Amino acid sequence: MSNTEQRRGFLKAGSIAAATGFVSNLLGGNAAAQHPILNSPSPTLPDSPTLNSEYDGFSRFKPSRGLDPDSDYYIGKLVPGFRKASDGPAPFEAPDVPKMPYKMDGGVKVFELVPMAVEQEFHPGVKMNVYGYNGSMPGPTIEVTQGDRVRIIVTNELPEDTFMHWHGFELPVQYDGAATLTQNPIKPGKTKVFEFDIHEEGTFFYHSHVAMQEAFGQVGWFIVHPKKVFGPPVDRDFGLLFQNFHIPPTHTISDSWAMDWNWHTINGKSGPYTTPLVCKHGERVRVRLLNFSPMQHHPVHLHGHTFWVTGHEGARIPKSAWVPRNNELVGVAQASCFELIANNPGDWIFHCHMVHHMMNHMVKQVGPRIRDDASVDQYLANLSSRPQVDASRSAKFDVPGYPQKMQGMEMSSDFMKAIWSRKEVRGMRANYPMSVKGLMTVLRVLPDDLYDLVMNSDQDVEKGAVFAEIVRRFGDPSKYEAAPKMMM
Amino acid sequence: MFCTAASAQMPSVDSPASAIGRTFTPPPPMPSAPYGLEQLDPSGPLFPGARIDGSDFGGTPAPVYVDGEMIAEQFSMETEVQGYRLEDFLTLAAQNNPTIRQARLQISAQTAKALQAGLYPNPTLNYIGEQIGVDVEGDKDSPGEFQGMTVTQRFVTAGKLKLSREKYMRRAHVSEHLAMAQQFRVCNDVRIHFFRALAAREIVELRKELLKTAEDSAVTARELYNQGQATRPQVRKSSIALQRARLDVLSAENHYRESFRRLVAIVGVDLTDGVVSGDLMPQGEPLSYQEAMSLVLTESPELAAARAKLAADRVTLSREQVEWVPDIVAEGGAGYNFEAKETTAAAGVSIELPVFDRNQGTIRQAQLDYRRQQEEIRRTELMLGQQMANVYQQYLTALQIATEYDRVIIPEARLAYQELLESYKANRVDWPTVLDAQMDYFDSRLTRVQHLEQVRTNEVLVRGYLLHGGLMAAPGPTPPGHIDAVAKPR
Repeated sequence: MSNTEQRRGFLKAGSIAAATGFVSNLLGGNAAAQHPILNSPSPTLPDSPTLNSEYDGFSRFKPSRGLDPDSDYYIGKLVPGFRKASDGPAPFEAPDVPKMPYKMDGGVKVFELVPMAVEQEFHPGVKMNVYGYNGSMPGPTIEVTQGDRVRIIVTNELPEDTFMHWHGFELPVQYDGAATLTQNPIKPGKTKVFEFDIHEEGTFFYHSHVAMQEAFGQVGWFIVHPKKVFGPPVDRDFGLLFQNFHIPPTHTISDSWAMDWNWHTINGKSGPYTTPLVCKHGERVRVRLLNFSPMQHHPVHLHGHTFWVTGHEGARIPKSAWVPRNNELVGVAQASCFELIANNPGDWIFHCHMVHHMMNHMVKQVGPRIRDDASVDQYLANLSSRPQVDASRSAKFDVPGYPQKMQGMEMSSDFMKAIWSRKEVRGMRANYPMSVKGLMTVLRVLPDDLYDLVMNSDQDVEKGAVFAEIVRRFGDPSKYEAAPKMMM
Repeated sequence: MFCTAASAQMPSVDSPASAIGRTFTPPPPMPSAPYGLEQLDPSGPLFPGARIDGSDFGGTPAPVYVDGEMIAEQFSMETEVQGYRLEDFLTLAAQNNPTIRQARLQISAQTAKALQAGLYPNPTLNYIGEQIGVDVEGDKDSPGEFQGMTVTQRFVTAGKLKLSREKYMRRAHVSEHLAMAQQFRVCNDVRIHFFRALAAREIVELRKELLKTAEDSAVTARELYNQGQATRPQVRKSSIALQRARLDVLSAENHYRESFRRLVAIVGVDLTDGVVSGDLMPQGEPLSYQEAMSLVLTESPELAAARAKLAADRVTLSREQVEWVPDIVAEGGAGYNFEAKETTAAAGVSIELPVFDRNQGTIRQAQLDYRRQQEEIRRTELMLGQQMANVYQQYLTALQIATEYDRVIIPEARLAYQELLESYKANRVDWPTVLDAQMDYFDSRLTRVQHLEQVRTNEVLVRGYLLHGGLMAAPGPTPPGHIDAVAKPR
């Protein structure tokens, strides 16, 4: 039986039958599961003369470096994706951010952009008041091709003046949008039309040129695909837009004047509500990462892979200047393109390495949360008389510094339900939401069959099942411990 | 216990080998409880938990669940503890306060005086022997010309006795008003001291809540210290705050006992420490200043007594005005005339001639006393007005403050506390911020109680004709200027 057939069989049998086999073996502690099952399908290549599974010692299907740092294929540098260059650029995909539709008007792509106050759901049920465009924060993505002429009709629905800046474009100065230097403001309720030719390619963005409106969330992608698709072609073109806000406790309005930032969003969502990037094993993946935080730079780290930095917001970098990295510092208003061959299956965390950005609104770890047998519910049960504090301290407090690990974090069942409602997270470990916080998301590299199970099937997938299957195929299942079931 | 363990690890601050700044030094220990706190709380030195009603706090009360829903524990203050109510104390005071009896006795004393003043003068029996030893024919050294007995009777004129009796009856009437005033003094004092005791008791409860918050703050400071987020001086500061909160509880306890004992003293019974129960929040509509003034000017027993005294003084004047009218003193009797050697009769009538003394000085004095009393009424009205201005201002200010604490500030503080608790639960704020809100909430309730105490004590005075001082001796009806110069009251 071919691998393709095996995969098909896996899907046909349904996850309850097929997945139950591997899931119960792994999660149920079956003794037989202590031995690796040797029927894992190995990846196959489409029929193509240009595609290989190995290039000069670099495998697109397993972690590897290659044999020669000077090789074009070192760490997958020029290893092509499965997609053909002739098929045009891979569609740009920024999870949770809509695309802006356009109409053609005599060869001009016409977009309508509306600056406005919006309500953005950072976390399930946690709706924050920010500014954005067309009901969205970040604003919808403008996606065009090099050489297009665009007309952008901006109608200001804010109760105050605004300016639109097309960040990075070499356009006629009258359309640049620098507040009052080049144009008068767009008054509330008024419309201004911007029209220019686009000769660039790359990762751009549009934003208000009023500082506090920027800090309040007004930004959106402006992706220009090259007229001639760059080689090597990529299969995935993801976008992650990082932002910070300061929203005080019990509040929903961002304080754009703050010097401290306690809410961190990727494409308008905060971990674990960020939507994972899902790709197939062996694909060539590009991630465009734009840091539009008001004043925080982000050292962004991808686990399990080494990526090439192939471009910034200015332009594609000549291949000779590409840099391989695990961690790329992306400054304010900078965008970086990461390219990699997804040769290491699994759920790989993709996060800013700043400690304070790895969670939302860090709070001091004191109070009932770290005390034995104390809970906030006891306080909430009777506001008139508070429970007596138990001053006896366990021996844990003899260790200076205790506790450093966040304790007693609570997530409601509604919260967890919303987190698990998205197809992109199906089959992840049961307590993944405990680890993905703040400026964090996940790159999921899945074998074809698991990709189809997660992204295309309607079947129920048990929490942890897909992860366990990856461990079974590519890892050491005898050493694997499933995640304890949480409140779900 | 925690404090013992911490003490054991504490290096001496004076030690030259102090490890501060070199390696981990445990946080300063909790201060031990001040003298007297153990008596309040048998459960441990750190956290006094005994409630005033004698029930115990658990270490940490576990939430109660019924059908999966948490049931809010009722706040101990809202639990209606069976205790002494205001009505109980008023009844007891009516029976036992000595000044009320004193006041009643004053009335009886005046009526007795009236009785005495109206009694008719007694007749006088005279023996008369005239010219004893005079020589008469045939008898040298005779027994005298006349030997006999006469009876003298003073006939009181001009209704003097009736006027005297009326005068003292009117003074008895004054005493009745004064007795009424005394009753108000006592009842008002009972009410004032009752509300003070009630407020003191609520303050004890709130001080204990604030103590629990201070205890939590002390624990929290040590937790923060353990994470490098609080300095040793900050931890020490939390110890100071804890100790102050403990002392506040002790003061509140002492104050409650004082209030209760003062209340019991007014009532006039010997009671051991007990619990008062009632509601500090006034039930009726607030009184306007015009209503309050009109009430006191029309119904004040003090003013009524002053007016009654004016009537008594009018009678006094009438009485003095007839004093000069001479009484007729008639004398009559029989005897033996040794000269005539026959029985003869004697008779005489005397009348004082008001030539020089027409009682004009005393009449003048009575007239002046009468006018003085007119001024006394005015003085009393003005004095009540002045007192009312002060008391009403305190009543109004306290009522405005307490009402707004009740209507806005406490609900807002409660919501702030609740929202921060929920925020803490959602990992959005840290515990010290919650503790601050908790302290604000409890503290605002404390302020509310303090102002309600002011509202109730001043309200009692406003509605009770400004009378207080229920243990001052009950005054008599005769202020300076009365005429009681003779043995026989007139």
